[in-house]
This record gives sequence, structure tokens and C-alpha cells, in this order.
Amino acid sequence: MEKAFSIKNLDLYYGENQALKNINLDIMRYEVTAFIGPSGCGKSTLLRCLNRMNDLIPNVKINGEIHFDEMEVVNNKIDVVDLRTRVGMVFQKPNPFPMSIYENIVYGLRCQGIKNKQTLDKVCEQSLKRAALWDEVKDRLKDSAYALSGGQQQRLCIARAIAMEPEVILMDEPTSALDPIATAKIEELIQDLKKDYTIIIVTHSMQQAARISDKTAFFLMGEVIEFDQTGQLFHIPKDKRTEDYITGRFG
Amino acid sequence: MRKRKLSDILLNSITAISSSITIVLLASIFIFVFKEGLGALSLGMFTQPYWSENYYVSIPQSEGEYVLDTELDEDVYYSSKHGIALRDDLDPQHEAIIVIDYIHPDSSFNALTNKTSGPLEGTEIIINEGMIIRKISYLGTNGVVRSAGPVVKQDAKETVETLEKSDVLSEAFIQSQGGGILGSMIATLYLILISLIIALPIGIMTAIYLNEYAKFHKMAPFIRSSIELLTGVPSIIYGLMGVLVLFPITSAFGANGTSILLGGMTLAVILLPTIIRTTEESLKVVPQNFREASFSLGANQTQTIFKIVLPSALPGILTATILGIGRIIGESAALIYTMGTFINDDPNLLHGATSLAVQIWSIMNGEQPNFALASAISIIILAMVLIMNISVKTISRKLFKRW
Amino acid sequence: MTTTLIKSSKEKKRFKRIQDQFTKSMFLLSAMISSLMILVIILFIAQRGLTPFMPDYKYGTQDLFKFLFGMVWRQDQAIYGVGFIVINTLISGFAALILAFPIAVLTALFSVKIAPKKVGTLLETTIEILASIPSVVYGVFAVGSIVPMIQTIAQGFGIQTAGGSSMLAVILLLAIMILPTITSISITAIKAVDEDLEKASLALGATTTQTNFKIVLSAAKSGIFAGAILGLGRAFGEATAVSMVAGNKMFGPTLDFFDITRTMTSTMLAGLKETIGLDYDIRFSVGLVLMVVILVSNLSINLLKQRIGKQHA
Repeated sequence: MEKAFSIKNLDLYYGENQALKNINLDIMRYEVTAFIGPSGCGKSTLLRCLNRMNDLIPNVKINGEIHFDEMEVVNNKIDVVDLRTRVGMVFQKPNPFPMSIYENIVYGLRCQGIKNKQTLDKVCEQSLKRAALWDEVKDRLKDSAYALSGGQQQRLCIARAIAMEPEVILMDEPTSALDPIATAKIEELIQDLKKDYTIIIVTHSMQQAARISDKTAFFLMGEVIEFDQTGQLFHIPKDKRTEDYITGRFG
Repeated sequence: MRKRKLSDILLNSITAISSSITIVLLASIFIFVFKEGLGALSLGMFTQPYWSENYYVSIPQSEGEYVLDTELDEDVYYSSKHGIALRDDLDPQHEAIIVIDYIHPDSSFNALTNKTSGPLEGTEIIINEGMIIRKISYLGTNGVVRSAGPVVKQDAKETVETLEKSDVLSEAFIQSQGGGILGSMIATLYLILISLIIALPIGIMTAIYLNEYAKFHKMAPFIRSSIELLTGVPSIIYGLMGVLVLFPITSAFGANGTSILLGGMTLAVILLPTIIRTTEESLKVVPQNFREASFSLGANQTQTIFKIVLPSALPGILTATILGIGRIIGESAALIYTMGTFINDDPNLLHGATSLAVQIWSIMNGEQPNFALASAISIIILAMVLIMNISVKTISRKLFKRW
Repeated sequence: MTTTLIKSSKEKKRFKRIQDQFTKSMFLLSAMISSLMILVIILFIAQRGLTPFMPDYKYGTQDLFKFLFGMVWRQDQAIYGVGFIVINTLISGFAALILAFPIAVLTALFSVKIAPKKVGTLLETTIEILASIPSVVYGVFAVGSIVPMIQTIAQGFGIQTAGGSSMLAVILLLAIMILPTITSISITAIKAVDEDLEKASLALGATTTQTNFKIVLSAAKSGIFAGAILGLGRAFGEATAVSMVAGNKMFGPTLDFFDITRTMTSTMLAGLKETIGLDYDIRFSVGLVLMVVILVSNLSINLLKQRIGKQHA
């Protein structure tokens, strides 16, 4: 089993406030790893470290190491733009660009300088098929992305990320803005995607984590309290705090 | 209780009366401008030069009868012997003039030669319909040269009758009407182009820097304040600045003193704060979501700005441009210093000219302020300004619809 | 799925990095240019404005004291005293403010709080249109309407005027011109007042009118003040329209409102066509004085605002 990310002694500060404390975590490839925990416990923050999206926030200081293949991600000298072509992200609220469906999908490719129409068409079709959206939109690729429903837009965003052929897909509460049916569709999709991608998903819903993830990390106040196979963590938690969270003693 | 109600009513009435003052004011201004200027307003203004040209010409021998083959209006009098039709009209000063209404294609009036002594004597002069006859000299019955036209207090009908009686016309004084705004319209157009070409890129790029790169940077508030300060500077000071700072640059291009180029560059500085502010506002409205999505797909900052952020901010930038154009049309003090006040019928980037607003100033500053013309131009300016305002409103509404 | 076609070559990666550096510096350069503008304006005008008072001035060094405190300005005799002109400018500006301010604030209050929605929108649109009318058009209007009106009124009182061009004409014109500015800023300030404050006042049994005048205006105070300062600055700086009705008196200050007058801006524009040498340069000195006057008046009013603020706190 290969490692996707190896996180060592990671600390993160928002100004004076320490949001992540001494994180040590190994995330494996071709698995779904879930981050769970109460609001504000740092799970999204850690996720955003993995593709350096925290760069967009001022006053952030990070100590420690994150190894991704031969790269060390925290180090300032790496090509962040390049990292993001290998580690994709899907956000909580679907955020398609104000363009057509087609243009949304091929946006990342165009930024890489790929202009050949056949290539773009091919990648567009493949990504939409992989994201289980092709049948629904194949006749209206030129329509505005906003014509789609919330669930469809989110699958569009997933297709858009897949078009970049990333190795890892980070998902930050991808279904919290969606209805149960759309949620189910996406959970199904995730199960399918893990054959080819490493998926790390932050979720507020323990049930979702229990349903779809292979491994789960429980966060509390910036620390990883427990990290184990999902089955183990949910049925035989090792830490009392984990048990309390799972049984709903605090939310 | 009653005392309170009374004071309430009093206060409210004073407030209502005060408010009506603004409406009365607007109405008065419009009524005045229309009353004075509507009469002088004509489509011809847009194509005619301001300065009237004087022509002293000799008329070749006429070749017999020139049969009229088109319809002429009533009150237009045609001389078939000479192929010219005249009518009565009033000039902006409401003085009586005689206007050439029609020239027959074969008429000898198509082949006039310049009689003014000097280098151009003997050259061909072309006159058009719309020009004014001041005097036509003809050979009278006893061989004496006599005059016809307004100079001997004849009107159009009388002039034509006099001409019909004579076979030989010797010379004429003809004048083009002038009072047009062609030169100023062209100059204003040049101004708009030059100032926008300079101000838009610099302004937009500054706004991008402030919002996309330096949003939380320590220096950002300083940069913003120094730009805000510019809005408190009166335009005449910008005029002084233009002459001092920008003139050396225009000299390098070959301008020798006031010029449209100098005026345009000065206006660019005046527009800068507004463009920056409006663009920054529209950049702020672009959801941060979009930028995050773009970055997460591996785009660099340049690509994110040009492919995602700027296109979304386009309506705001358009608004800034329209506001800028409105400002340019209305600007006067800065241009008086940098572009001069001489009304130029053939404007050239490297020479002085007047914009529409400065033409009004020039007209009003002469010995005999031509209220009618000044008001007519004001009507044109007001119409343009109103159109700008309405367009800005429509675009803002469309902008909100999108999100 | 194929994995090779997306991965950027080393050259592409470099290009993207360089591209980012290039565009960042372009944007930074623009920002620098924009922020330095104000400094450029101040420095250049100060330098040129002070030149006539420097020892080696080519048209004969002027006496700074006589310039600043002189009460006569005669182009033909090369006497340049700006003292009385400053006083005239201050008088006209403040008088215009006193005239326009109450009307502006009341109009703003009326259109936001008292008038039915349609009337309020109508008023706001009127103000917007008034604000976009260029100064020359105001000038034409003033020369055609206000000046003859003053002439008629003066004659009624048996006072001689130079056709109506007078200090009074300047004041009325300026008041009209700064009215939209103060009104629109006041409208913004009043709209920004927290509804909860009004609700609290009404809940205590005050009438709407009392709430409007005692609470809303008070809360919008600082915005309205800012509007007044801006209006005053505009009044001091207004050039073309004022020069059309001022008359350009050669000495002063003008305390008789029916008498012709001269302001700093009208001085800077007067006789611009035939001007040369000292006469041209001295206009920059007047411009410098104008900037100082605007700056000082802004600062003093701000100081006044803080003092009043402290008293109420």
C-alpha cells in the first residue's frame, strides 16, 4: 500500500490562535479517508493544507512537514500551481464558473495550455462520464452551468476536478448543501472514484463517514484524537472522547 | 400634545418645501436652456464648422436658361437665368439673412473663382447650399455695376427679381454660416479616446493590485488614501498640473503649447480615482469561491484574474467607463489650461481645440455672448449626460440580476 | 485514464511562474503611479508657484508678503495681491455652504424618511441629474437667469450693479452647485442609520418627526458633516461657472454683496488668452494658495467636528 500523504508534526496558526496541533497522519492511496469532528476543530484547515489553499488566507503560519511523493508541501519553494494540478479540490457549496458546462470542465486544461479541440472534447466526455453526469448533460454542453440543479452542479465540480487527472481529490463537506437524493448519488460516485483516486473527505455527518470511508480521523480542537479503520473507530473506539462524539454526547 | 403636533407639522412643512427647491431648480435650468437654445438647435450644427468663411468671388458668364427640374419649397425664389435659388432666414442673432437654397448643377455658380487678392487669387471656389449671400454685383441697364442682396436691404424675392433682370453678374460676397460644433465634437471624441486609453488600463490594474494582491497588505490603506485624496482636488488644479507635468511629454510628441493630447492626458489623471474605486467595488463582488475553484484547478494568479475575475467584473468596469465619459464631456477648467480656448474647426491631436463644454465657455467669454448657441450646445451636453446616467442605471440593474 | 497529457512540462511550469511575476509587477507599477499622483501634483505646483518669489526669478522677484496680504490685483500694473481674493473665496464658499446646507439636509431627510417611496426616488434622481450637470451649463444658466434677476432686485432697491454680476451671484451659484453634493452624501448617511435606533425612539413614545430630527439626523451626523466638507471644497475650487458671474474686481475684499468680486479660481481663469510671463506664472502661486486654503479648511472643520464630538461623548 502506497502512501499519498505523510503528515509530520504539523502546526498551524491563524495569527496568535493555534488551529492545528502536532498532527501526525499517514494517508494511503486509493482509499477514502474521512475527517470528522465538531465545528471549528481543524479538519477543513488540515484539508486545505494539502493543496496549499491556506495561502489565500492572510496571517497563516505553518510548521512541520507534509510529504506528497517526492515533494514536501509546506516548504515555500515548491510550485504551488503544479501541486494543485495533482491534488484537486471540491468545495462545500458548488461553485461552477459563469460559463457553459463544457467550458467549466475544460477550464483547468486550457490553463495548462491545452487547446486541441479533440483533446478537450475527449477529456470533457470522459470526466463527465466518470462523474456520472454525462447522460444528463451530453446534449446541452453549451448551456450555462447555472441551468443545472445543486446536485448536478456539484457533480460538475467533481468532473471539473477530475478533468485535471489529479492523483488526490480533496472534498470539503461536498454534500452538506445538497438534498438527500443528490447526496446519495455523490456518495455512490465517491465509492466508484476510489478505484482510481485517493479521496480525502471532510464531513459533518458521522453517518456519511461510516458509510463511505475506509479510514476515519477524529479531530477535536486542532488535534487528531484517533485515526483508524472506519469500522474499528465507529464500533470500538479507543479514546473516550471519540466514543462521546460518536454517541452524540456532544456535536 | 397639541404643541408637539404643531411643531411636527411645522418641521415637516419646512422639510417638504426645502425638498421642492431641488425640483424647482432642475426644472428652471432645463427650461432656461431649452428656451434659449432650442431655436438655435439644428441638425446642421453637427456638421458645420464654427467659424464662418468669407468668400469674395467672381462669377463666370451664365450660359442661358437653367431649367428647374426639382421641386422647391414655397418661399424659395429661383433665378432661371443664373441657376440659383434663394430663401430668407434668420441667423442666431435673429438678423435677417439670405441663404442659398439650391444651385442648379449646370449653373455658373458652380465655377466661381476667388477674387481676394493674394496667393489664392484665381483659384476655384466651391460654394454649397446653406451658405449666405451678402452681396451680388451685376451689370445694370446703363452699364453701371450695381449691387443686390441684403447689403441694399433686399430680401430673397427682391434679390432674385433683380438678378433675373440682368444678364451679367460680376462678383459676389458669400459667407458660410458657421456656428457649428463639428470641430468641438471631433475634439471631444479625441479626448474621450485618449483619456480612456490611458486611464482604463492603469486604473484597472491598480484596482486589481489593491484587491487581488495587496488586500491585506500594510501599504494598501496608504495607497487607497492617496488615491482618495485626488478626488478632493479641484479640476483647475489638474489643469495646472497638466501644464507643468505632462507638457514635457507632449512636447516630445511635437506639440507646441496647448493640445488635445495634453488635455486628454490630464483628463486621464482626473478619471483615475473614479475608475479605480468603481473597478475595486466590482472586483470585491466577485465571489471568493470562484478564485478558490480556479486555484484548486491549477491556474496561476494571472490566469485566475484574466479568465475568471475580470470577466465577472466587466459590468462594473463598463459603468466606470461611462461615468468617465460623462465626466469628460462636462469638464472645462482643466481643459481651458491644457487645451486652450480657441475653437478649432479642424482639430489635430497636437494643437489646441475646444471640447463642447469649452466651446460654450469660449462663446460666453467673447464680446457678444451668443446665448442661443451656448444654450443649444448645453442642450446637447445635457442630453448626452442624461443618456450616460440612464445607461449606468440599466447596467447596474443587469449586474444585480446575474447574481 | 491517460495521465500523461495534463502534466506540465518543466518549461510550462517556468512560464507560468514568470508570467505571474510579470503581471504582478505590472499591477504594482500601476498602483505606484496612481498613488504617487497626488504627491506629484502638490510638489510641482508648489515648486512653480513659489518660483516668482525666488531670488533669481526672471521677471523680477515678487514680495511674498505683499502677495499674500495684498488687497489689490491689477494685471496692467503688475500688482498681485492675493490676500483679499482669499477672503472673497472664503466668504463666498462659507456663505454658499450656509445657504445650501440646511436645504440639502432637509431634502435628504425628506426623501429618505418622510416622502412616499416614489417621491423619494424622484428626488434622488433629480439630485443625481443635478450632480451631473457640467459647470459651464450652470454658468450659462447663472448668466442668463440669476444675474438679470439680481440686477432687477438691486434696481428695486436703488442699488447700482454691473449688470448683475456680483458676490451675491457667485454665492447663489455656488449654493446651487454644491447642493446636490451635500444632499447625496447626506442621503447615504441617513440611509445608513440603524433602524433599531429609530424603533427604540418610537417605542419610547416619540413621533416620527421627533425621531427623524432628534435621532436620525444625529446618528447620520458624521456622514452629513463629511458631505458639508466636500461641498465646501467644491465651492472653493469651482472655476468656470464662477468666473462667468464674478466680474473680477481689482481690489477688495468684497463685503458689499451687490458689488462685483473676484475669487482665486476666477483670477486663475481671467485673461488666460493673452497672458504671458509673470502674469501666467502667478496663477500657479494662486493655485498653491487655493490648495492650502482647501487643506486648512478641511483640517479645521475636522478638528471642530472632533471637539464637538468630545463634548457630546
